[in-house]
Amino acid sequence: MDKETLFKKLADAVIDGDEDETARLAQEALDTGIDPYDAIMQGCNKGMAEVSDRYEAKEMFVPEILLSADAMYAAIDILRPHLKVDDTVAKPATIIIGVAQGDIHDIGKNLVKMMLDVAGFNIIDVGRDVPVETFVEKAVEHNAKLVAISALMTTSMMNMEPVIEGLKEQHSGAKTIVGGAPISQDFADNIGAAGYGKDAVAAVRIAKKLTEA
Amino acid sequence: MARMTPPERMGAVMMGEKPDRVPVVPFILGYSAQITGVSIGDIYADGDKCFDAMFNSMRLHGYEQTPMYGYASLGPWEFGGEVMFPYGKGHSAPSVTKHPVMSIEDIENLEVPTFEKELPGGFKESDKVAKRCVAMGMPATIQTGSTFTASSVVAETSLFLKWIFKEPKAVHLLLEKVSDMFVNALEYFAETYGPEHCMPFDGGPVEANTILSPKQFKEFAYPYMEKLHKKIKELGMPAVLMHPCADQNLNIPYYVELRKKLNWEGRYFWLFGPETPIQDQIDNFGDHDIICGNVDPPSIQYKSYEDVVRLCKENIEAGKDSPNGFVLAPGCEFPPLAPPIKVMAMMDAAEKYGRYD
Repeated sequence: MDKETLFKKLADAVIDGDEDETARLAQEALDTGIDPYDAIMQGCNKGMAEVSDRYEAKEMFVPEILLSADAMYAAIDILRPHLKVDDTVAKPATIIIGVAQGDIHDIGKNLVKMMLDVAGFNIIDVGRDVPVETFVEKAVEHNAKLVAISALMTTSMMNMEPVIEGLKEQHSGAKTIVGGAPISQDFADNIGAAGYGKDAVAAVRIAKKLTEA
Repeated sequence: MARMTPPERMGAVMMGEKPDRVPVVPFILGYSAQITGVSIGDIYADGDKCFDAMFNSMRLHGYEQTPMYGYASLGPWEFGGEVMFPYGKGHSAPSVTKHPVMSIEDIENLEVPTFEKELPGGFKESDKVAKRCVAMGMPATIQTGSTFTASSVVAETSLFLKWIFKEPKAVHLLLEKVSDMFVNALEYFAETYGPEHCMPFDGGPVEANTILSPKQFKEFAYPYMEKLHKKIKELGMPAVLMHPCADQNLNIPYYVELRKKLNWEGRYFWLFGPETPIQDQIDNFGDHDIICGNVDPPSIQYKSYEDVVRLCKENIEAGKDSPNGFVLAPGCEFPPLAPPIKVMAMMDAAEKYGRYD
């Protein structure tokens, strides 16, 4: 199989959520000497980008996306250990991601994390029900460019603004994006967040824009 | 028109008559704890504290909502799992710490809770609230769904959603068992308090179209909703509080189908999320049922009193003349940490813009 065909099949298997097939194709890529970076970017990443588009178009929903994510990681787990380290390439921006204090709902956060991961960011996942101080400490510790906070409740969304305030004082280089069911652009503006992601696709778009700025 | 008392106002709406003004049902749960000096955890851990907080909040503000017990992740505790009550910072509802289902085998071994001896999990607390409500002439509100949302937390949620594709038979088995628990609950409450005093409360957020497709809703959520609503009809309960939580616009045809198929004489209170225009609700359900408002809860939390009054005014103007009645409500639970002036905003808007005389 030529590499273009393999990339196409890998992307299709990600879209179909077929983790056996993505693992098989990832191994085949390695066995035939295809650069694992290309397989991730041209295969997995393209597949996931299509999944994102279909979610936005309401053609795919969360159950399918979870299967696509599993399929993608089945390939990435095989390919990633073989990536060549290139010191001449700039390191990807680091993003701290977590669910606001008081909230344990993390499916949305996990989807955003996965999309950001695929987009090439260095992700530090601080989990769910995360105290304000932890977001700030981790941002300082990892010199993060971005902090992404999710909330599903009207109570936990009130713990987003203190993170933004804490970052202003202790790590002003980091910007914040917020998202989750009760969050709106208006609320994000109101608390001084740099960005609002209405869904995982939008979150990646905003993260790219904010880290390139 | 002479001023009505809150029970008279709700009674008029239930009878299809015009009250003096639009009733206000602010869908208050955790807020009642905040305003009465109890911790939010206590109102979920102890049904008596729940009743006291909600009854006192009702008296304090004068709205039309009566005490009720329920939360979105009901199910795991009743099936032998564990929940954490919301005592921590920012916590507002019980959350699951141990899902009873983590494998397909767990579904097969899962036993449906019975109501014959000790009531399971949260129903024990719900029963305390129901008992005191009925003793005072108020309805016993019983959470009986949604089956899909409850099943999605009885099982670990990501696994459950993936099993829709990978293990659909097992998912149906789980949905069957969870709906059987709700059937048991309906029978218990009907027998204990009389069906005429019961108001089932059905709804959940996991059916939202940000998560689930309408096709998946049709296959996995609808059949169990129909099963429970048939039971409600058979038992002779007079009304159901129906809360299709968050954006369920693509599921509306199935809710319409439920209404038509059952041809039920009772009344639904439809409480959709803020994503569903009031006019769409009137068009689909207004000929039979009571339409509730859907003021955006986060806006109630962080916007000003004036803004909340304006949002309520818009809601009232859109729904007030719905043929079978309208109730002012938020599109989901009233924000537990909102300042009391926001309840006042709802009440003021109802008084100022919701009068029928």
